[in-house]
Amino acid sequence: MSFSVLVCDDSNMARKQVLRSLPEQLSANAQLAKNGQEAVELLRSQQFDILFLDLTMPVLDGLGVLQALKDENITPAIFVISADIQPEMQNKVLELGAKAFMRKPVQLDVLNTNLKSHGFL
Amino acid sequence: MSELNLNEDQQDCLQEIINVAMGQASDQLARFLDTFVYLKVPSIEQVSTLSLIETLSSNENSAAVVSQGFFGYEGIRGEALLVYKPKDSDRLADLLGYEPDELSVEEQIIDLSSILTTTFLNVFAKQIDNQMSYSAPRLLAGSQSAVSDHLAQQSFNWDLALKVKITYQVTDYSFNCDMILFIPESAINNIKSVIDRILEEF
Amino acid sequence: MYSNDICIDITNKLNTGVLIIDNQYNIVFWNRYLEIHSNRKTDDVVGNNIFQVFPELPQKWLKRKVEGVFQLKSQSFCSWEQRHHLFELQHTRPISTNSHFMAQNCTFLPLERKDGSDNVCILIEDVTDVCHYQTMLNKTLEELAQSNRIDGLTQIFNRKHWEECLEKEFSRARRYQHGLALIMFDLDHFKLLNDTYGHLGGDLVLIETAKIISSLLRLGDLFGRYGGEEFAIILPNTDIVGALDVAERIRVAISKNVINFQKSEIKVTASVGVAVISEEDTRYEDLISNTDLALYDAKASGRNIVCVAKHLIEA
Repeated sequence: MSFSVLVCDDSNMARKQVLRSLPEQLSANAQLAKNGQEAVELLRSQQFDILFLDLTMPVLDGLGVLQALKDENITPAIFVISADIQPEMQNKVLELGAKAFMRKPVQLDVLNTNLKSHGFL
Repeated sequence: MSELNLNEDQQDCLQEIINVAMGQASDQLARFLDTFVYLKVPSIEQVSTLSLIETLSSNENSAAVVSQGFFGYEGIRGEALLVYKPKDSDRLADLLGYEPDELSVEEQIIDLSSILTTTFLNVFAKQIDNQMSYSAPRLLAGSQSAVSDHLAQQSFNWDLALKVKITYQVTDYSFNCDMILFIPESAINNIKSVIDRILEEF
Repeated sequence: MYSNDICIDITNKLNTGVLIIDNQYNIVFWNRYLEIHSNRKTDDVVGNNIFQVFPELPQKWLKRKVEGVFQLKSQSFCSWEQRHHLFELQHTRPISTNSHFMAQNCTFLPLERKDGSDNVCILIEDVTDVCHYQTMLNKTLEELAQSNRIDGLTQIFNRKHWEECLEKEFSRARRYQHGLALIMFDLDHFKLLNDTYGHLGGDLVLIETAKIISSLLRLGDLFGRYGGEEFAIILPNTDIVGALDVAERIRVAISKNVINFQKSEIKVTASVGVAVISEEDTRYEDLISNTDLALYDAKASGRNIVCVAKHLIEA
């Protein structure tokens, strides 16, 4: 089954890393956003099932995105993939509605486990 | 002067490696300091040695500069210069977990700088399948001549300076520091090939 | 690959101390260098707590340092410039130094053992030579810097350094709204004095005058030789009343002083100018200007007198 995916990260390489690790049916039509602002705008205009979100981004950062989505009641399944791995940060993103936190560089098995446990595989 | 001459992909790759290194190093630092470190995206830019010396000497309050050599495999080595302005040096000891009179201001700055440098470079090295060794950190006097003299004495060709601007904000105490990595010409190509190797995986 | 035996052999021949501790701070291994320099037997050391074996170690500081190594899995250092030594070991250098103990550079290395436990290896390097020569070098450099600041003849600040001091004091006074006074005095008829007694006599007068005035000043006052026979004093945190008081005492002291030169008794007087920092002054040179004008007035008024900058009188 296919789900609509949005990958948000300011790093081209990081976006590619995520896409590379996703199964075909999810990566094929995935869309990309370069920063939080772009992501929020896309999420307002289209329906997305899954959002992969980086935290440290210019313009609007990951926490900003999470807050905006919460305020506007936009609810894709949010998976945070970040270089900032402090426990406080992890807790914060979960409190703001993220489904899971994964550290960079994203590992294939970790990603798959998370997707599976939330019904996407 | 040699240029790193990275294309967009290579630049992006390097930025990402540095981001991840910064993220993990900050986490380690935060655990050690028992606090939360607010992280900003570290900016990377190539700087010419001349502009660098100018910047270092133009600061009003003489910045503290700590220098530490690092060496890894495959010729990846250089010198890390940590430049920062301790706004409130009394707090540093507290931050590092010491009583204020337990160690001198110099020691505090050197210790903190060494922690920042080695944790960052260790993680950085791990990502490029490398391992770093370090020389003892040294505090350079804040004057322009001291820094430029020091740099002139380096035996390798320090053509390339990569400035990684780190901003650390620790809950109730904020300090900024710039980490400048001096990489000799011979190491530049090594780094490029490592980056290309990583990019090839995509 | 070299066998363990060779590694241990080399470790015991090293000219560096190797000390390994576990996370309970018990000594797991040490090398021959340490056995010799600490004058203890391995049997009495290995297995024991490091603070028991070396009670001189600053326990709290060292624990914090070593914790860092365990946690961050990263090297740490301590140089002789920060702490002269950690371990009290006799040095064997053929030079006499201030300390009986060797100056040390210590490196702390994280070690992960095969059984998963964490150890820290402390490398202890004797840098007594470096310490000795660096200390001597620093002392010489300091003396050199000092001589760059001091006027050779009178041993008070030379003009260059004195002006630098004034610049600093001026901006400090501006920033913190403090008072600042300047006194400039010039020995009267000095050329005549030189012609009469020769330069040696003139020099002696300058030297003696500097000595006497120095003794009248406070700790924070900055006394310098401004010109051949001209002197200047910076008085931080001083108002016009205080400055005038000092200026008058200077004038009196100089006029009363008798300088014995060869078979003569030389007497000399000084003209003194005084000014304090005022709102209109934008740079330290303005303050010098005002004081200089006051000094000129003193000369014009008959010498051996104290004059105040005019605009201050009007105020």
